[in-house]
Amino acid sequence: METLVFQKPKSIHKDCKVTFCPGCDHGVAIRIIAEVLDEMNIADKTIVVSSIGCSVFLNDYYNLDIVEAPHGRAMAVATGVKRAKPDKLVFTYQGDGDFASIGLGESMHAISRGEKVTAICINNTNYGMTGGQMAPTTILGQKTTTTVNGRDAEVQGYPIKICEMASTCEGAAFVARCSLDSSKEIENTKRMIRKAFESQLAGQGASVIEILSTCPTNWKLSPQESHERIRKELYPVFPLGIYKEKTSKQV
Amino acid sequence: MTKTAEKVLLKGNHAIAKAAINAGCQCYFGYPITPQNEIGEYLSVEMPNRGRVFLQAESEIAAINMLLGAAATGTRAMTSSSSLAIALMQEGISYIAADNIPAVVVSVMRAGPALGYIFPSQGDYFQTVKGGGNGDYKVLTLAPSNVQEMIDYTYKAFHLAHKYRTIVFLLADGLLGQMMEPAVLYDYPYEDIDNSSWALDGAKDRPGRWIGSIHRSEEVLERKVLELFAKYDVIKQNEVEYETMLTDDAEILITAFGSVARIAKAAIKKAREAGIKAGLFRPISLWPFPTEELNKMARGKKIVLDIEMNMGQMVEDVKIAVNGEAKVEFFGRPAGFYFTPDEIFEEIKKVMEGLK
Repeated sequence: METLVFQKPKSIHKDCKVTFCPGCDHGVAIRIIAEVLDEMNIADKTIVVSSIGCSVFLNDYYNLDIVEAPHGRAMAVATGVKRAKPDKLVFTYQGDGDFASIGLGESMHAISRGEKVTAICINNTNYGMTGGQMAPTTILGQKTTTTVNGRDAEVQGYPIKICEMASTCEGAAFVARCSLDSSKEIENTKRMIRKAFESQLAGQGASVIEILSTCPTNWKLSPQESHERIRKELYPVFPLGIYKEKTSKQV
Repeated sequence: MTKTAEKVLLKGNHAIAKAAINAGCQCYFGYPITPQNEIGEYLSVEMPNRGRVFLQAESEIAAINMLLGAAATGTRAMTSSSSLAIALMQEGISYIAADNIPAVVVSVMRAGPALGYIFPSQGDYFQTVKGGGNGDYKVLTLAPSNVQEMIDYTYKAFHLAHKYRTIVFLLADGLLGQMMEPAVLYDYPYEDIDNSSWALDGAKDRPGRWIGSIHRSEEVLERKVLELFAKYDVIKQNEVEYETMLTDDAEILITAFGSVARIAKAAIKKAREAGIKAGLFRPISLWPFPTEELNKMARGKKIVLDIEMNMGQMVEDVKIAVNGEAKVEFFGRPAGFYFTPDEIFEEIKKVMEGLK
């Protein structure tokens, strides 16, 4: 009888030990991106732009060419990489704070220019690495270490909706929001990442994949409760789906 | 190298842009700011004509990070800007230095602080040489003093950036950027430098490469900084550059860089005609600063007079270099008042009178 062994994707270092908190979705996101690269057989033409926050640990996991961007500047760095090497697949891996707070200008301009790059944005509605402060995506009423009574629209304003905003840009070719809260959603997220990469390689424009993700440590919830929160509290504010999809005719 | 080519009338900023093209610059990223706009405007036409990249960034912060991205692929790339906008780039400059990747930044100084105005200035010596970014790093800085040298040192900036995988500044000012004078635009004189051992181009038939600055262990971070400074030691040994004029018998040694050094030369000629033994020591590499060379030169001089278009910045490095071998005085003006040769001559006379 053949023994099947659960393998790591080729794009992930063989000796890699994932160091994210228990129940954090980062590890799943990083793995399925690597699976897509392997399945598309494009790892050897890929340049990754890493960012600042928990996403920075990606550096340790991928056996790929990676350049680290300063906080918020991943889409500008990706622009420089892609303009210099237009035949490469270039994607950023950023948190929502990196992408939509400090880096919103770089993100929106790169998308508006239709840079042929893909932004993969992990939205966990708080700043994970620094200890759970309010993020641009923190939902109204959500308690964080800088909104101890819950985010109040009168004081802190409203959460930023990444896909809704990105899809208004004419340069955006593929924009989708997905989740990792079930095996079905993980499979769907993988499909969305693949579509984004295919869109980039077809030269259609910028692509954005927003992934609703857990942060059990800072949410002070169990891994199971964290996925439950995504379904109950985040789905209504951040509906899943494809927000923009240019067909090749529209390019 | 065809340095026999005929002289053509060139604006300083255009000289930089043309030299960048000759140097094989493949990508330019920039955001408009006076007094350096001619660089971007020229390249916006000439780079696409050659199948190269000109990209107007949404901000200087984006521009320096686009440069970082292109540099990480080993591509010859540059940005240009000025003063308050170079201030916005400082985080990216620190990253590029820490990443050991080659990039050229042209800084055409204007008068500050803050918005100030578009007048020429040397107020960003500290910003460039002492660094506005965080942590221990150095910026190799070349200071041209005429339009010909805008070409010479743009070439050298690209060469040194790739030779040492480091960030190199061409530090000019609004006077040099805007003036027109004859110069020879000869071919790029340096050899291509192989970057295949480190540049990012996709991990094909080799392990992945990582370019970044995060090191989550004190030992590793310290080792990385020490490696950076070992490289800086080599740069210090090899790349100090300076110019002297009439120093052998000089009693008063003028120190000045960039456009001021050029004006000082005219003043020194006047002083010599008036019987004052004046000479010039002009640092060209502002970092590495010609510390030992200036120290030797200052020995036996009655006085060192440092002249800058600012309130006294390079003078601190001059004092460190002179190290008590002679008295050091400073003459400077901020806010875009560039000197006439007569003003400097009068100051030389005044300083020499004061010694009696």
